[in-house]
Amino acid sequence: MKTKKVKSLLVLTMALILLITGCSQPGAQQAPAASSGSENAAASDAPAPGADSTAVGFIFVGAKDDYGYNQAAYLGSVGVEETFPDLKVLRAENVPETAEAERVMEQMIKDGAKVIFPTSYGHLDPALNVAKRHPDVAFFHQGGLKTAENLGTYFGTIWEPVYLAGVAAGKMSETGKLGYIVSVPIPQVLLNVNAFQLGAQSVNPDATTSVVFTGSWCDPGQQANAANSLIDSGVDVLSQHQDCTKTVIETAERRGAMSVGYHADASSLAPEGWITSSIWNWPDLYADMEKTAIEGNFKGSIYDGKYRGTLNDNVVQLTELGAGVPDDVKQLVEEKRAELLEGTLQPFKGPIEDQAGTIRIEDGVTPALDDLEAADFLVKGVIGNIPK
Amino acid sequence: MITDILTGAIRSGTSVMLASQGELISERAGVINLGTEGSMLGGALGGFAVTVWTGNPWLGTLAGGLCGLLISAIHAFLVLTCHANQLATGLTIMFFAMGVTSFFGRGFVSEQIVGFNPVAIPYLSEIPFVGQVLFNHDPLTYLSFLLVPLLWFVLFRSRIGVILRATGEREEVLFANGINPKLVRYAAVLAGGFLAGVGGVQLSVAFTHSWVENMVQGRGVVAVALVIFASWKPIRAMIGAYLFGAAQALQLTVQQAGLPISPFFLFMVPYLLTLAALYIVERRQRSQTPEALSRVFTGTSSG
Amino acid sequence: MKQQAVNAPMLNEPLSFRSRLKPIGIQIAVLIAPFIIFGIFLLFYDVNPIALYGSMLSSTFGDLYGFGEVLIKATPIILTGLAAALPARAGMINVGGEGQLAIGALFATWFAVFYLSSLPAALGIPLMLAAGALGGAVWAGITAFLKVKGNLNETISSLLLNYVAVFTVGFFVHGLLKDPDSFNWPFSPEISSALRLPIVNGTRLHVGIVIAVALVLIVWLVLKKTRMGFRIRVLGSNHLAAERAGFKVSWMQFGVLVAAGALAGIAGMIEIAGIEGRLRPSTGATYGYLGFLAAWMAWNHPLRLTITAFVLGMISVAGNSLEISSGLPSSSVHILMGLVLFFLLGSGRRLKK
Repeated sequence: MKTKKVKSLLVLTMALILLITGCSQPGAQQAPAASSGSENAAASDAPAPGADSTAVGFIFVGAKDDYGYNQAAYLGSVGVEETFPDLKVLRAENVPETAEAERVMEQMIKDGAKVIFPTSYGHLDPALNVAKRHPDVAFFHQGGLKTAENLGTYFGTIWEPVYLAGVAAGKMSETGKLGYIVSVPIPQVLLNVNAFQLGAQSVNPDATTSVVFTGSWCDPGQQANAANSLIDSGVDVLSQHQDCTKTVIETAERRGAMSVGYHADASSLAPEGWITSSIWNWPDLYADMEKTAIEGNFKGSIYDGKYRGTLNDNVVQLTELGAGVPDDVKQLVEEKRAELLEGTLQPFKGPIEDQAGTIRIEDGVTPALDDLEAADFLVKGVIGNIPK
Repeated sequence: MITDILTGAIRSGTSVMLASQGELISERAGVINLGTEGSMLGGALGGFAVTVWTGNPWLGTLAGGLCGLLISAIHAFLVLTCHANQLATGLTIMFFAMGVTSFFGRGFVSEQIVGFNPVAIPYLSEIPFVGQVLFNHDPLTYLSFLLVPLLWFVLFRSRIGVILRATGEREEVLFANGINPKLVRYAAVLAGGFLAGVGGVQLSVAFTHSWVENMVQGRGVVAVALVIFASWKPIRAMIGAYLFGAAQALQLTVQQAGLPISPFFLFMVPYLLTLAALYIVERRQRSQTPEALSRVFTGTSSG
Repeated sequence: MKQQAVNAPMLNEPLSFRSRLKPIGIQIAVLIAPFIIFGIFLLFYDVNPIALYGSMLSSTFGDLYGFGEVLIKATPIILTGLAAALPARAGMINVGGEGQLAIGALFATWFAVFYLSSLPAALGIPLMLAAGALGGAVWAGITAFLKVKGNLNETISSLLLNYVAVFTVGFFVHGLLKDPDSFNWPFSPEISSALRLPIVNGTRLHVGIVIAVALVLIVWLVLKKTRMGFRIRVLGSNHLAAERAGFKVSWMQFGVLVAAGALAGIAGMIEIAGIEGRLRPSTGATYGYLGFLAAWMAWNHPLRLTITAFVLGMISVAGNSLEISSGLPSSSVHILMGLVLFFLLGSGRRLKK
């Protein structure tokens, strides 16, 4: 019996050691917003989804500080929190893209959320299921192509800035060999790779983009391997589509290659080789969607359906070009940006050929949203293989 | 291209190699530690954090090693003192370490460090082929080169090695000599944890210069498998780790060649290769599993 | 030569089971202590532990829905737990439940989508179940083959195959099994509604839990009452004795591992037919490991396994409310689970040695 005591004491000490290391962390704890009630006028005649919500739920597929996709979405949720100080903001990270997500959403609804933002593509089906059960709750899904009565989807045309980044990269590259480190072959990824290559070959017809899949959204070891491997084979500009983006940029910088970022402005990581980055700007959009839902105006609004924010709307942006980028390249990118904004430049206007040379988008055709966002091919000039 | 693959093998194999050398010490004493994954995570975070605070990667290495040691101490305590099941405990530690490191590591995801950088060794690095492959790495990689023969010497040519191996094989002998096998096992597990921690440091401070949650991604598990592949011999464990690294590098090279092979199939290659290598090795030589360890595997030991 | 003294106690599983009935106070302390430590931990982060535990409890036992969620979680853990417990009784360690579940889910979905879509439930569901079992069995069969033919340790091979299984599922959902109507996203098509397991109204709870408990009883009966079960236990307690008694040890090991794989494969089928409705790249992730832990917490006893699986299911369901209502990162659930397991493991089978 005595040994028992000693043992549990020891375990306790170990736990305490953990605690102590914990306390020495620079803590950045937000106490949950205290007051929440007292301002609601009773105007709930029509059960508009999301109307008079006092709480909102956000679910993220990864960690909210991954320096990437989830952090961008998290910042969006902070935007909502700041715009609506009385709103209770519920968050859950690392929510898997399976039916697990349903439970998390149900829990949030039980805790009072009338508006839910499932922010990853794989959360769509679970969200549709939950939406069916809760017609009074509004859902805004990030990136989806299926909708429901009370579920709208939104996204940004991130391929626009990615195209511009491709233009810059095509100009900057000396070898004409660009590298793109991506996770898994999903349409959003393929679309970006295509946009990048189209941008690069618009200024350098011989440019190629080598795609390397890592199989994971965030495995720095594998990213570093991929970056090194690409650089070894003569690639001198690296771009990426990963959830955490730091490692590739730092590896490129150390090996003297240039980098194009994604999700976040990481120019500080690469003072020498930084070109630019395509980023999301969610806070204003999230806040506006939240406002629309709370006021009971979801039905019939632009968010009831498939909303896509563009470069024009400032939902997606290209960050400032790096210090090492010469003025003529800056100017060229500026011109192309202006053309994109005006609509005179449409990167995916046909004819677009795939790797095998087959025409995938017919001459003069501008693909509809659903076709565009369901990309399952790589354009000519991209080196790499996707499963069929 | 072959140079690139071999260089890549060492780059990505070193963290696994360090961890497998640590696991080897522990298993020689009869304790299998699946918590190696956890020790690597602890090392990766601890090393990164201290490097951020002090700017000194060597202090980071020390701290990372100590974090790995601390995590393996939980394993040692539960397994050796409480006689808990080794594999279940190791697995629990894996989960626990994932939780703890993600929790305390949040603040470090966006931190930048200088860390270790490749240092070309004068003259040696200029030898064609060999110089490129072997002598253009970070300091921890060079240390890991030295570690392997050192460990071999200690295991097979020193008194400490005799004691360690006897602990795993015939602990009666130790009792007869007045040595407490439990203490030896504790020391072996802690040393193993330290090395796994340093492996984690190599990953975070030298190779990727980043910390993100769960960044070890199964490398610790592979390290444990490699020890068996290596029949508990340091040099073979090193070869195994580099083989695994080479498979990773090869996989990436094949992808860039644009051959019509699904990337998902290529992702499997390192694991399949490890399995195939294990199969060949184990078939040929009925393995010389340390006695105490085989008892763990057959479920006839509780501790 | 193995020491007989070490080998002996394994046969007396019922005895060590009884000897676990220690003073009730200590047992309770072991269960409560991790929550107290975690509570102190919470205080450092300005979270009220009592309120938090309250909301965790109400999210699991507060209503039928929450309770159903716990049972849903427990179902695959029970089955992957059996997949670990059964080989353990035969002296083998199967950590491959994770991969066996994934491949079981893959087979079940494949058959459901391509062959069973027009069948009525009474015929389709059993066939789909069989397909899942087959998938798990095939995957475990690789481990078993390597063990029997190559003398390759099953712990390591099953662990490595887990990684291969994830990529195999990825290969199929990104390719041959991709839903043509899902805009090229990596999911399988949805299985026909006739193949979905019946559910309890107002919850997501499906009959999978009944299947799981039935299989627990079967495994328990086989181990306890049949000749084969006796042989398995002899093999597990004394390999040498089994060989001397003329058992075909290799065949037994092969059979037990394959049966274990089938059990985990059924868990995969239940995930698809009961909950998901389609295969995704990460279907069933971590259930295999949780099952392994549940099995060891239960000392590989099938009946106790249902309880430990339930406890693990409860913690992971409650973990969601921990995160949502406290604002702590999701990793805190792992910390709590780790603490609970450490105490259980640490308080374990002292008397065995």
